[in-house]
Amino acid sequence: MEISTSELRGVEVFEVRGEIDHSNAGRLSSAVDEPLERGDEVIVLDLSEVDYIDSGGVSVLLSTVRRLRNRGWLGVVNPNANVRRLLEIVGLTVDHGFRLFSDRAEAEGAIEEVISNEQGKR
Amino acid sequence: MMKEANNYCRQIGVEASPENLREVRRFVEEVSRDLQLEGDDGYDLKVAVSEAAANAIEHSGAESFLEVCVTQYPDDRLTFEISDEGNFHLSPRKPEQAGGRGLGLPLMVALMDEVRIYRNSRGGTTVSLTLFLGEQQQRETA
Repeated sequence: MEISTSELRGVEVFEVRGEIDHSNAGRLSSAVDEPLERGDEVIVLDLSEVDYIDSGGVSVLLSTVRRLRNRGWLGVVNPNANVRRLLEIVGLTVDHGFRLFSDRAEAEGAIEEVISNEQGKR
Repeated sequence: MMKEANNYCRQIGVEASPENLREVRRFVEEVSRDLQLEGDDGYDLKVAVSEAAANAIEHSGAESFLEVCVTQYPDDRLTFEISDEGNFHLSPRKPEQAGGRGLGLPLMVALMDEVRIYRNSRGGTTVSLTLFLGEQQQRETA
Protein backbone atom coordinates (compact mmCIF):
# COMPACT_ATOMS: atom_id res chain seq x y z
CA MET A 1 0.00 0.00 0.00
CA GLU A 2 1.22 3.48 -0.87
CA ILE A 3 -0.25 6.74 0.40
CA SER A 4 0.30 10.17 -1.08
CA THR A 5 -1.46 13.40 -0.22
CA SER A 6 -2.79 16.36 -2.13
CA GLU A 7 -5.16 19.21 -1.44
CA LEU A 8 -8.62 19.91 -2.71
CA ARG A 9 -10.09 23.31 -1.75
CA GLY A 10 -8.12 23.28 1.50
CA VAL A 11 -9.09 19.70 2.33
CA GLU A 12 -6.44 17.01 2.68
CA VAL A 13 -6.89 14.20 0.16
CA PHE A 14 -5.13 10.88 0.73
CA GLU A 15 -4.54 8.91 -2.44
CA VAL A 16 -4.14 5.26 -1.54
CA ARG A 17 -2.81 2.61 -3.91
CA GLY A 18 -2.64 -1.17 -3.63
CA GLU A 19 -4.10 -3.39 -0.93
CA ILE A 20 -5.23 -2.18 2.49
CA ASP A 21 -5.08 -5.06 4.96
CA HIS A 22 -4.28 -5.87 8.58
CA SER A 23 -0.55 -5.66 7.93
CA ASN A 24 -0.63 -2.01 6.81
CA ALA A 25 -3.94 -0.46 7.99
CA GLY A 26 -2.03 1.10 10.90
CA ARG A 27 -0.16 3.32 8.43
CA LEU A 28 -3.43 4.63 6.98
CA SER A 29 -4.69 5.24 10.50
CA SER A 30 -1.56 7.27 11.35
CA ALA A 31 -1.92 9.26 8.12
CA VAL A 32 -5.49 10.40 8.80
CA ASP A 33 -4.70 10.99 12.46
CA GLU A 34 -2.99 14.30 11.71
CA PRO A 35 -5.98 16.12 10.15
CA LEU A 36 -8.27 14.50 12.74
CA GLU A 37 -6.16 15.83 15.63
CA ARG A 38 -5.92 19.21 13.91
CA GLY A 39 -9.72 19.43 13.96
CA ASP A 40 -10.32 19.26 10.20
CA GLU A 41 -14.01 18.91 9.36
CA VAL A 42 -13.58 17.02 6.12
CA ILE A 43 -11.13 14.30 5.12
CA VAL A 44 -11.09 12.69 1.68
CA LEU A 45 -9.67 9.31 0.69
CA ASP A 46 -9.19 8.67 -3.01
CA LEU A 47 -9.50 4.88 -3.32
CA SER A 48 -9.45 4.75 -7.16
CA GLU A 49 -6.26 2.69 -7.10
CA VAL A 50 -7.19 0.39 -4.22
CA ASP A 51 -7.96 -3.13 -5.37
CA TYR A 52 -8.49 -4.73 -1.98
CA ILE A 53 -9.59 -3.71 1.49
CA ASP A 54 -10.23 -5.93 4.51
CA SER A 55 -11.71 -5.35 7.95
CA GLY A 56 -8.44 -3.79 9.10
CA GLY A 57 -8.84 -1.05 6.49
CA VAL A 58 -12.61 -0.79 6.89
CA SER A 59 -12.11 -0.29 10.60
CA VAL A 60 -9.86 2.72 9.98
CA LEU A 61 -12.64 4.23 7.86
CA LEU A 62 -15.26 3.49 10.55
CA SER A 63 -13.15 5.03 13.26
CA THR A 64 -12.45 8.11 11.12
CA VAL A 65 -16.19 8.58 10.50
CA ARG A 66 -16.82 8.21 14.23
CA ARG A 67 -14.22 10.83 15.09
CA LEU A 68 -15.55 13.26 12.46
CA ARG A 69 -19.16 12.83 13.59
CA ASN A 70 -20.88 16.03 14.70
CA ARG A 71 -18.25 18.11 12.98
CA GLY A 72 -17.97 16.92 9.36
CA TRP A 73 -17.57 13.89 7.13
CA LEU A 74 -15.23 11.42 5.52
CA GLY A 75 -15.40 11.37 1.73
CA VAL A 76 -14.34 8.35 -0.29
CA VAL A 77 -13.65 8.83 -3.99
CA ASN A 78 -14.20 6.17 -6.62
CA PRO A 79 -13.80 2.83 -4.80
CA ASN A 80 -14.02 -0.18 -7.11
CA ALA A 81 -17.22 -2.26 -7.02
CA ASN A 82 -15.80 -4.87 -4.61
CA VAL A 83 -14.40 -2.33 -2.16
CA ARG A 84 -17.67 -0.42 -2.32
CA ARG A 85 -19.66 -3.58 -1.55
CA LEU A 86 -17.63 -4.15 1.63
CA LEU A 87 -18.27 -0.57 2.73
CA GLU A 88 -21.97 -1.22 2.18
CA ILE A 89 -21.93 -4.49 4.16
CA VAL A 90 -20.47 -2.81 7.25
CA GLY A 91 -23.03 0.01 6.98
CA LEU A 92 -20.58 2.80 6.20
CA THR A 93 -22.40 4.03 3.10
CA VAL A 94 -25.55 4.88 5.06
CA ASP A 95 -23.71 6.69 7.86
CA HIS A 96 -24.40 10.43 7.78
CA GLY A 97 -20.72 11.06 8.47
CA PHE A 98 -19.74 9.31 5.26
CA ARG A 99 -19.90 10.49 1.63
CA LEU A 100 -19.27 8.47 -1.49
CA PHE A 101 -18.09 10.28 -4.63
CA SER A 102 -17.65 8.92 -8.14
CA ASP A 103 -14.79 11.33 -8.85
CA ARG A 104 -12.78 14.18 -7.39
CA ALA A 105 -14.93 16.83 -9.08
CA GLU A 106 -17.96 15.52 -7.18
CA ALA A 107 -15.96 15.64 -3.93
CA GLU A 108 -14.88 19.18 -4.75
CA GLY A 109 -18.51 20.23 -5.20
CA ALA A 110 -19.41 18.87 -1.75
CA ILE A 111 -16.43 20.64 -0.16
CA GLU A 112 -17.47 23.92 -1.81
CA GLU A 113 -20.90 23.45 -0.27
CA VAL A 114 -19.34 23.12 3.20
CA ILE A 115 -17.26 26.26 2.59
CA SER A 116 -20.24 28.33 1.42
CA ASN A 117 -22.35 27.11 4.37
CA GLU A 118 -19.62 28.26 6.75
CA GLN A 119 -19.42 31.63 5.04
CA GLY A 120 -23.19 31.92 5.32
CA LYS A 121 -22.99 31.41 9.09
CA ARG A 122 -20.49 34.22 9.56
CA MET B 1 -13.91 -32.77 -17.06
CA MET B 2 -16.57 -32.21 -14.43
CA LYS B 3 -15.27 -35.11 -12.33
CA GLU B 4 -11.79 -33.63 -12.38
CA ALA B 5 -13.05 -30.27 -11.16
CA ASN B 6 -14.98 -31.95 -8.37
CA ASN B 7 -11.81 -33.56 -7.09
CA TYR B 8 -10.08 -30.21 -6.84
CA CYS B 9 -8.00 -29.98 -3.69
CA ARG B 10 -5.02 -27.77 -2.92
CA GLN B 11 -3.30 -26.45 0.16
CA ILE B 12 -0.59 -24.06 1.27
CA GLY B 13 1.19 -23.43 4.53
CA VAL B 14 2.56 -20.09 5.66
CA GLU B 15 4.16 -18.75 8.81
CA ALA B 16 1.58 -17.00 10.96
CA SER B 17 2.61 -13.42 10.20
CA PRO B 18 0.50 -10.48 8.90
CA GLU B 19 2.98 -10.03 6.03
CA ASN B 20 1.83 -13.42 4.70
CA LEU B 21 -1.81 -12.37 4.27
CA ARG B 22 -0.92 -11.28 0.73
CA GLU B 23 0.40 -14.75 -0.04
CA VAL B 24 -2.83 -16.29 1.25
CA ARG B 25 -4.84 -13.96 -1.01
CA ARG B 26 -2.67 -14.79 -4.06
CA PHE B 27 -3.46 -18.46 -3.32
CA VAL B 28 -7.20 -17.75 -3.28
CA GLU B 29 -6.85 -15.82 -6.56
CA GLU B 30 -5.11 -18.83 -8.15
CA VAL B 31 -7.89 -21.13 -6.96
CA SER B 32 -10.53 -18.74 -8.35
CA ARG B 33 -8.76 -18.77 -11.72
CA ASP B 34 -8.37 -22.58 -11.68
CA LEU B 35 -12.08 -23.02 -10.96
CA GLN B 36 -13.11 -20.14 -13.22
CA LEU B 37 -15.26 -18.62 -10.51
CA GLU B 38 -17.58 -15.94 -11.76
CA GLY B 39 -19.07 -12.74 -10.42
CA ASP B 40 -18.35 -11.74 -6.84
CA ASP B 41 -17.39 -15.24 -5.66
CA GLY B 42 -13.64 -14.85 -6.15
CA TYR B 43 -13.45 -11.56 -4.31
CA ASP B 44 -15.76 -12.73 -1.52
CA LEU B 45 -13.60 -15.80 -0.96
CA LYS B 46 -10.46 -13.66 -0.95
CA VAL B 47 -11.83 -11.36 1.74
CA ALA B 48 -13.30 -14.17 3.88
CA VAL B 49 -10.18 -16.37 3.74
CA SER B 50 -7.90 -13.41 4.41
CA GLU B 51 -10.04 -12.42 7.42
CA ALA B 52 -9.91 -15.97 8.80
CA ALA B 53 -6.14 -16.02 8.28
CA ALA B 54 -5.75 -12.61 9.96
CA ASN B 55 -7.75 -13.89 12.91
CA ALA B 56 -5.61 -17.03 13.14
CA ILE B 57 -2.40 -15.00 12.93
CA GLU B 58 -3.57 -12.74 15.72
CA HIS B 59 -4.15 -15.53 18.21
CA SER B 60 -1.37 -17.89 17.11
CA GLY B 61 1.93 -17.67 18.87
CA ALA B 62 5.18 -16.66 17.19
CA GLU B 63 6.74 -19.21 14.83
CA SER B 64 3.46 -21.02 14.44
CA PHE B 65 2.15 -22.26 11.15
CA LEU B 66 -1.03 -21.62 9.25
CA GLU B 67 -2.57 -24.05 6.75
CA VAL B 68 -5.09 -23.15 4.08
CA CYS B 69 -6.76 -26.06 2.35
CA VAL B 70 -9.40 -25.85 -0.37
CA THR B 71 -11.67 -28.62 -1.58
CA GLN B 72 -14.43 -28.67 -4.15
CA TYR B 73 -16.92 -31.42 -3.37
CA PRO B 74 -19.05 -33.34 -5.91
CA ASP B 75 -22.13 -31.33 -4.90
CA ASP B 76 -20.29 -28.11 -5.92
CA ARG B 77 -19.59 -26.99 -2.40
CA LEU B 78 -16.31 -25.10 -2.34
CA THR B 79 -14.73 -25.09 1.12
CA PHE B 80 -11.65 -23.30 2.38
CA GLU B 81 -10.32 -24.49 5.72
CA ILE B 82 -7.93 -22.20 7.58
CA SER B 83 -6.19 -24.07 10.39
CA ASP B 84 -3.86 -22.84 13.08
CA GLU B 85 -2.39 -23.95 16.37
CA GLY B 86 -4.17 -21.45 18.61
CA ASN B 87 -7.55 -20.85 20.18
CA PHE B 88 -10.20 -18.85 18.37
CA HIS B 89 -11.55 -15.97 20.38
CA LEU B 90 -13.85 -13.10 19.72
CA SER B 91 -12.61 -9.70 20.67
CA PRO B 92 -14.57 -8.26 23.59
CA ARG B 93 -13.64 -4.77 22.45
CA LYS B 94 -15.57 -2.62 20.01
CA PRO B 95 -14.58 -3.25 16.38
CA GLU B 96 -13.07 0.19 15.85
CA GLN B 97 -10.90 -0.22 18.95
CA ALA B 98 -9.84 -3.73 18.08
CA GLY B 99 -8.10 -2.82 14.84
CA GLY B 100 -10.95 -4.37 12.88
CA ARG B 101 -10.64 -7.79 14.51
CA GLY B 102 -14.26 -7.68 15.66
CA LEU B 103 -15.41 -7.11 12.07
CA GLY B 104 -13.71 -10.19 10.65
CA LEU B 105 -16.27 -12.79 11.66
CA PRO B 106 -19.34 -10.72 10.65
CA LEU B 107 -17.71 -10.17 7.25
CA MET B 108 -17.05 -13.90 6.82
CA VAL B 109 -20.69 -14.63 7.67
CA ALA B 110 -21.95 -11.92 5.31
CA LEU B 111 -19.87 -13.13 2.37
CA MET B 112 -20.01 -16.93 2.73
CA ASP B 113 -22.88 -19.43 2.58
CA GLU B 114 -21.59 -21.32 5.60
CA VAL B 115 -19.03 -20.55 8.31
CA ARG B 116 -17.92 -23.17 10.83
CA ILE B 117 -15.36 -22.91 13.60
CA TYR B 118 -14.03 -26.02 15.30
CA ARG B 119 -11.08 -27.48 17.20
CA ASN B 120 -8.73 -29.36 14.88
CA SER B 121 -6.50 -32.41 15.40
CA ARG B 122 -3.44 -30.19 15.94
CA GLY B 123 -5.10 -28.77 19.05
CA GLY B 124 -5.67 -25.50 17.23
CA THR B 125 -8.66 -23.95 15.53
CA THR B 126 -10.04 -24.43 12.02
CA VAL B 127 -12.31 -21.93 10.35
CA SER B 128 -14.22 -23.54 7.50
CA LEU B 129 -15.70 -21.24 4.84
CA THR B 130 -18.09 -22.62 2.25
CA LEU B 131 -19.71 -21.30 -0.91
CA PHE B 132 -22.39 -23.34 -2.65
CA LEU B 133 -21.34 -22.75 -6.24
CA GLY B 134 -24.14 -24.82 -7.81
CA GLU B 135 -26.80 -22.95 -5.89
CA GLN B 136 -25.34 -19.66 -7.02
CA GLN B 137 -25.51 -20.75 -10.65
CA GLN B 138 -29.10 -21.94 -10.17
CA ARG B 139 -30.00 -18.61 -8.58
CA GLU B 140 -28.43 -16.74 -11.48
CA THR B 141 -30.16 -18.75 -14.18
CA ALA B 142 -33.54 -18.75 -12.38
